[in-house]
Amino acid sequence: MSLKMRLGLVFSGALFLVAVAAWIYQLKEGLILTNMQNSYSWGLYISGLAFFVGNAAGGLVLTSSIYLFGVKKLKPLAKLGALTAFANVTAAMLIVLPDIGKPIRLYNMLLHPNWMSPLVWDVIVLNLYAAAAAIYLYILMLPELTGRLGWLAIRVDDPHAFSERWAKRIAPVALLFAIGIHVVTAWIFSTQGARDWWFSPVMAPDFVSVAIAVGTTVVLLAAALAYGTGEKYQEAYRALGLIIFMATCVHLFLMANDLVIHSWYGNAETHRIMDIAWGDFGPAHLFEVAAPLLGAWLLMRPQILGSLPRLLASSALLIAGVFVHRFLIMPAAYNNIPMTMTPFGLPESHWSLPIASGRFLPGMGTFLDQYAYFPSLVEVAILIGIMAYAVFLVLLAIARLPILARENQ
Amino acid sequence: MKMGMVIDLEKCIGCRSCMVACKQHNAQPPQTWWNRVFTPGSHRHLTPPALGVEFFLPVHCQHCENAPCEKVCPVGATYHAEDGAVLIDYERCIGCRYCMSACPYGVRQFNWEDPEKAHARSEYQEKYHYGYPEDHRHEGRLVYSPLRPKGIVEKCTFCAQYRDKGELPACVRGCPGKARFVGDLDDPDSDVSRLIKSRNAFTLLPEKGTKPTVFYLPPKAKEV
Ligand code: SF4
Ligand code: SF4
Repeated sequence: MSLKMRLGLVFSGALFLVAVAAWIYQLKEGLILTNMQNSYSWGLYISGLAFFVGNAAGGLVLTSSIYLFGVKKLKPLAKLGALTAFANVTAAMLIVLPDIGKPIRLYNMLLHPNWMSPLVWDVIVLNLYAAAAAIYLYILMLPELTGRLGWLAIRVDDPHAFSERWAKRIAPVALLFAIGIHVVTAWIFSTQGARDWWFSPVMAPDFVSVAIAVGTTVVLLAAALAYGTGEKYQEAYRALGLIIFMATCVHLFLMANDLVIHSWYGNAETHRIMDIAWGDFGPAHLFEVAAPLLGAWLLMRPQILGSLPRLLASSALLIAGVFVHRFLIMPAAYNNIPMTMTPFGLPESHWSLPIASGRFLPGMGTFLDQYAYFPSLVEVAILIGIMAYAVFLVLLAIARLPILARENQ
Repeated sequence: MKMGMVIDLEKCIGCRSCMVACKQHNAQPPQTWWNRVFTPGSHRHLTPPALGVEFFLPVHCQHCENAPCEKVCPVGATYHAEDGAVLIDYERCIGCRYCMSACPYGVRQFNWEDPEKAHARSEYQEKYHYGYPEDHRHEGRLVYSPLRPKGIVEKCTFCAQYRDKGELPACVRGCPGKARFVGDLDDPDSDVSRLIKSRNAFTLLPEKGTKPTVFYLPPKAKEV
């Protein structure tokens, strides 16, 4: 193990432990340690769910490119794709835990599942996708599970042929679950007729497009770090760059399409949403549009793909833009109180009924219709720790398992 | 039997007695209010938004027939009781707060911390407890507890603990304007059914398709 790898493992492992400690502290004190309150009841954790689910799309992009569209040059990256997918989809499940008020009761999901609830569907497809990614990764590694790792291998006559055959068989199933995690996670929001900001049929296709953009970027980033930016891999990187750019454009189109239709009709709810999205959160909104676009555009350029620092910076820009995009799922939903009416005799008025906050907030009243949410230290520490978990898992797997293509192949 | 409530906005004087009765009887922790009475159009309660325009609007759980909170609940903790009331099983709720986003009326309240700690934080007198003092089970499920478990969601139960003893909800009993009525919506001759028909009753946010069982009777224009 190289020193860099060792440092990476220690650092990410430590951050993860900090998150575990923060979560234990939060279990003891309650979600009072977050900055959420009743009128703003989901925050950084659930944004994190959407973020990690998106990052997990790398496996989907690679398997479908290789096995459905025959892009053979991406084959050396297939295992990295499955690995980042597994790391991110498990991170998505982990980040939900601290959002649950009584995690100890999660077994109720097994005992009394409500089949109408999109959250139940999401838990099912996230688990199926995690399992599919793990099995797929295992099948791909099988021919190389020899020597020290021999005990991990199932006995088959011709591991190479077996691996090839089963990878092809599993790919379409995994693809189904992969699309499922984005669609169902989007449905958690877009089925909520109470929230105008979410209640849109465009949300599910948009989640798929964002995921393809950011999930592929995660694979590109991991590949560049693992293999460098040598000539050998440029062809594969260029293919990924193109996928990223196209997916980003589709995402921005879907988003703009939704905004145009809503603002064209221009009812009061939409005005309110626009005020929040473009007013209060104007700079953040600008960033969520500009950063992925610029990042994706840069990632198509050979000069960028050929230089490690530039490639890293461009990927980071895109990922940061998508992260802000995920954060912005919440404000325009929660600061637009659904219980809003035009009172009798006041046709010009548009009045929202304030909500009891449920917790003591210094300097604020009990009843709120506006709330400037910013995550607390505990929320930030937990989110960063879960990100570190994903990094730790990827590094550990690379160090211990035959993930990377050997140079002599 | 389908429980329903009618609130006569002509009779409501905005005194917030129901709000306080609800809070007290149901032992709601500090900053938690199942029932809110406000002056629509105005930022200050009991202050007319315009000359000659003033009415008051009490809002609590609308016990919707097509309740999004029930549909999203992953574990079936939120459920429809036989009489049509929407209740929460305090022993099953996992505290995911999905229902809080899904409810259009903003009536669901989370226990962000242990209620005892919340009392201390809000500087309530030590050992001061209020409200119905015992746990209450409806159809075998824990739907009321004077000290809430931290990390679960709560809301109006139409006072399940009182109704099961044949008494009216605290808000109905506490209203000095006698603006509140409960009864059987399935019975065309009940008070509530007759009021709904004869007085142009309306529901809140009908466009959301939730089918509330709480109805409002419109106020007449105020004399100036
Ligand atoms: S008002 Fe809200 S909490 Fe009550 S039944 Fe309707 S959706 Fe559920
Ligand atoms: S917070 Fe409780 S009642 Fe609400 S959806 Fe989650 S489990 Fe159901």
